[in-house]
Parts: sequence; C-alpha cells; structure tokens
Amino acid sequence: MANRPLNDDEVINEMNKMVAFIKQEALEKAREIKVKADEEFAIEKAKLVKQEQQAIDVHFEKKRKGAETAQKIAQSTLTNKSRLKLLQQREEHLQDLFEVARSQILDLAAQDGRYVQFLEGVVVQGLLSLMEPSATVRARAKDEELVKKAVASSQKQYQEISGRAIKVDVEPSLSNASAGGVVLISGTGRITIDNTLDERLRLLEDRMLPEIRYDLFGANENRKFFN
Amino acid sequence: MATQQSQSIQTLLEAEKEAAKVVQQARQFRVQKLKDARTQATKEIEEYRRSKEQEFKAFEASHAGNTQSASVAIDKETDVKRKEITAQYNKSKDQVVKKLLDRVVLVKPELHRNLKKVEA
Repeated sequence: MANRPLNDDEVINEMNKMVAFIKQEALEKAREIKVKADEEFAIEKAKLVKQEQQAIDVHFEKKRKGAETAQKIAQSTLTNKSRLKLLQQREEHLQDLFEVARSQILDLAAQDGRYVQFLEGVVVQGLLSLMEPSATVRARAKDEELVKKAVASSQKQYQEISGRAIKVDVEPSLSNASAGGVVLISGTGRITIDNTLDERLRLLEDRMLPEIRYDLFGANENRKFFN
Repeated sequence: MATQQSQSIQTLLEAEKEAAKVVQQARQFRVQKLKDARTQATKEIEEYRRSKEQEFKAFEASHAGNTQSASVAIDKETDVKRKEITAQYNKSKDQVVKKLLDRVVLVKPELHRNLKKVEA
C-alpha cells in the first residue's frame, strides 16, 4: 500500500475495483435470493397440491363407498322382492286348495254311511267334552232324523266310555247352508261346542299347515330347528 | 481535487443504487415465484380433481349396468321358481285335499285324561 497520496490513474483504478466489488456483491445476493425462491416455489407448490389431493381423495372415497352401499341395498331389495313373490305364489295356491276343500265338503254329508258314523262320533266327542248332566244338539233341518238316531247311539257310547248318563235334546236349528255336522250346547246354555263340518275344516286348515306345506312344497331347506 | 473526490463519491453512490436495484429485482422475482406456485398448484389440483371425477363417473356407470343386469337375472330366476312351485302344487293338491277331507270326518272320542270312568 502506497503511503503517498494516489495519483489520478490509481484513483480511477481503485474506484473501478470498488464499483466492481459492489456489483459483484449485489449479483451474488441476487442469485442467492433467486435460488431460494425456486426452492420455496417447489416446496410450496408441492405442499398445496398434496394437501388438496388428499382432500379430493377422501371426498371421492366417501362417494365411492356411498355408491357401493347403494348398490348393495338395491341388490338386497331385489332379492327380497323375489322372495316375497314366491311366498305370495304359495299363499295363492294354498287358498285355492282350501277353496276346493270347502266346496267338496258339501258332498260329505251326502255319503250316508260315513256321515252317520261321523255324526255319532262327533256327538260322543262333544258330550265327553261337556261332561254335563244335559245337553242340546243343534242340527240342520234335513239332518234331524239322522241326528236323532245318531244321538241315541251316542248316548250309549258315552255311557260306556264315561260311566255317566246324559239327557240330550235335538234342535233342527242349524241353517241348511251349513255343510253338516252338529253344534252341542250345555244344559245351562253357557258352553258351546261347534262340531260342524265347516268349523272342523277351518280348524284343520290352521292346524295342518306344517303338514300341508311339506306335502305341497317339500321340506324347508333353511329350517334348522324342529323340536 | 475536491471535485474528483465528489465525483468518486458520486460514482460509488450510483454503484450502490444499481446494486440495490439488482437485489430488489431478485426480491420481486421471489414474490412472483410464490404467486406462481399458488396458481400452478391450483391448476394441477383442478386437473387432478377432474380426472378423479371421471374415474368416479366411470365406476358409477358400470355399477348402474350391474344393477340392471342383476335385476333381469333375478326376475328370470323368480319366474322359473314360480313355475316350479305351481307344478309341485298341481302334483300334490288332490292328495292334500283328500287328506283334509278325511280328517274332517275323523273322530276319536276319548274321555279326558284327568277323569275316570264312573263304575256303576
């Protein structure tokens, strides 16, 4: 370093050096800033994109699950409808069967021998249920004679089975529209036993349902318990 | 001599000004970059959303097709089963009617199990 004051050339030289230095510093700083800017750009962009992508994925996942559930529900509804149709079909057939039975029942009373036996049996059954000292038997008007005969023999049977005697009246008060059979009423008029063919058929329709199901449609494959 | 000094100082001051400008430009570049990040990100996100939406629509369309074909298949099956039911029914109905009628007239009079016959 010169200790004497600088001459003009040296001054200019030093000046240029300083100016260059200032410029150089500025450029370096600017470059630093730019590099950092690029980095931050990339990070920020990636962060934003990732965030939103996640949100979008969650959203569509939910939608997808909803659509799947809707499909399952639709499928299940279809299956259910199908089963109901099948059950309905069976029910129709069952009702049809009962209709046929109800119409054929009217022929039963025409078969004399069987019918008389039936009347006897049914009266005895009624008397044994009543266990009363007296009873009234109501029958159709056209059955009056038959029933009177049947009652006579029934009283004997009743005596045999229970050791008791019973007084029986016959009333031709059932309508002729009924298919046949009798109604028994206790002496005090408070107990009634309906042993008409219609009523017996109705009871059977209900009680025999499991058997009917098996005979008509086969066993139930899905059933597990039978006791 | 004094003019020279003040000239030098002037030159230096101008150099500083230029330097400051350069740095300022770099800063503005940075600010702009951050804004760009935002806008570009938004664009990319929008594209992503659009593609996901299409994916989902395709999925939905395929499932609607499934439901339709499933419905037709089930209806066919149901019809077949119904015909089976009717056939079975027709085979056994007479027998069942006979069973019913037989039992209507079947009577077995018995004394109640708690009672005893009264011996004369």
